[in-house]
Amino acid sequence: MSSSSPHALTAHWKKFLALGVAALAVVWVFAYIGVGHHENRQALSVLVGSLFWVSVLIGMLLLTMITRVFDAGWAPLVRRNWELLIEALPVVLLIGVVPLAFLPEFRHALWDWTDPAHVLAGGHTVGHDPILQAKSWFLNEPFFLVRIGLYVLVFGVLVTLLRRWSFAQDTDRTAGHTHRLHAVSAVGIPISAVALTMLAFDCLMALSYHWFSTMYGVWFFALSIRLALAVTVILTYKLSNGGWLDGLLNQAHRHVLGCLMLAFTVFWAYISFSQYFLIYTANIPEETFWYNIREIDAATGLKSEWWSVSMYLIFGFFFLPFLSLLFYRTKIIADRLLTVAWIILIGGIVDLWFNAIPRQVYDKSTPEGFVVTPFLTSSLLLDLAAIIGFGGIVFAIFLRGAAKHETIPVHDPRILESINYHE
Amino acid sequence: MNERNERIHGVACIFRKVPDVFHAAEKVRDAGWKNWDVHTPFPIHGMDQAMGLPRSPVPRLTLLGGVTGFITGCLLTWYMNSYDYPLIVGGKPYWSVIFPFPVIYECTILLAAFGTFFGQFIFNRLPRHNHPLFDLPNFARISDDTFMIVLEARDPQFHLDESRNFLQSLGGQEITVIRD
Repeated sequence: MSSSSPHALTAHWKKFLALGVAALAVVWVFAYIGVGHHENRQALSVLVGSLFWVSVLIGMLLLTMITRVFDAGWAPLVRRNWELLIEALPVVLLIGVVPLAFLPEFRHALWDWTDPAHVLAGGHTVGHDPILQAKSWFLNEPFFLVRIGLYVLVFGVLVTLLRRWSFAQDTDRTAGHTHRLHAVSAVGIPISAVALTMLAFDCLMALSYHWFSTMYGVWFFALSIRLALAVTVILTYKLSNGGWLDGLLNQAHRHVLGCLMLAFTVFWAYISFSQYFLIYTANIPEETFWYNIREIDAATGLKSEWWSVSMYLIFGFFFLPFLSLLFYRTKIIADRLLTVAWIILIGGIVDLWFNAIPRQVYDKSTPEGFVVTPFLTSSLLLDLAAIIGFGGIVFAIFLRGAAKHETIPVHDPRILESINYHE
Repeated sequence: MNERNERIHGVACIFRKVPDVFHAAEKVRDAGWKNWDVHTPFPIHGMDQAMGLPRSPVPRLTLLGGVTGFITGCLLTWYMNSYDYPLIVGGKPYWSVIFPFPVIYECTILLAAFGTFFGQFIFNRLPRHNHPLFDLPNFARISDDTFMIVLEARDPQFHLDESRNFLQSLGGQEITVIRD
């Protein structure tokens, strides 16, 4: 617990950095070559990889602020790890989403609406699309770039403030920092809610810009918290077996994290189903196409491979974790909770794939005038490489931060309550 | 058990401090008692473990209620929309799991809540209008500033004199015999 001797684990940060840089170099090179050949699937890997970690880190940012606002007694022990991790949020945005948006070749390849020459399903171009013209007050390039810049700014400022005063408390032992962080969090939560909603609209929903869903931001929020909790459970498991949480993380902490995982598993299902349910019930073509291309092969009318992906989301990403987490023992036995966390982590990647990859690509040889991006391609490996690459950067930042700061918030007013937390 | 014991509910004693009653409870647990209880004016964290109480069985009835509700909701919507009076609404199938899902879901929640609510009544043996403990003159004080341990006569280990001495050895004061 003393600041003079950082934990041995922190020495590994260079390995994570090397892994991250190497994997990202490969992914960016593939993306660059792909874009040169008018292929956007490789660039999409960069987007999926960065959005995976953006989502994890936004979830952790929100959990940091929510536990601050509610003065959660169990939280300080776990929260310090979130505070160390969220330093990476602006970085992941800056080396992932920002270059994709600001480099015109990548922007045009990924977000169809930014390229007036892009041919839509049906044969007309984006430049002559009345739907885009109606949406152009929001979907125009200058405003889009300003918004991307704002996300970096908003999350960057919040991350900086939440970290600064929390670390300051380690040395100056002032309780006033807790009150200040309370206020920052109370203001930060609604601001983050707007920012993450818009981020989900801009980065994911606008990939099929004809489609719209007002629940999309809430879906992204639910996914973010689920992924953040899954990463938290995996990380704290690791840290309590030979890390700085050794002997500190107890059954009651796992129970809390398990209960939150259960709650947000249900919430994710509620949001995802409601979005589907409203579109299914209203049955309006400009909404239903988004689900149709994720279920039916337009050429044959049969279920496509995307249908299997949807079924995996229902059974593998909802029912399996939901039914497991209903049991008290799943939430308190470390190995079982770890297994469920991995299931949620994998499901989260599949959910991002489900949302990001399928789109209608113009193909005049088919009767419908389009084909749907396939699921099973070698690019899935590139997606995983991107997730590992950004993950390497995230954990390099985390371990370097852990070497510089206290890994336990030793002077948090609630640290004893947190260490002695019981059910 | 002798005839005298049948009219006795148990023996009670009081404690004045939380640590005293807590450690006394641990000793009663370790002595293997099954039918006994601790009465306190406020919840004491960790008392469940100190008493060796198992987890509440109520969640099992919640799950049972939820599963029953889910099946009821499915049957209800299938019977009404697809069997008894088949009706096409909005071009949707007569029955699928999607369009009636709010109904199925609400039935699940409702019966799960019933399972929980009535389950706790069953396991708490409620409603119960009177209890021998209410006749104790000092019983009202356990909602104020004292703590009480009661060893019940229905426990196989119960023997009036020995149980009395046991409570005394735990540091209990004002040991009282409670009659049914």
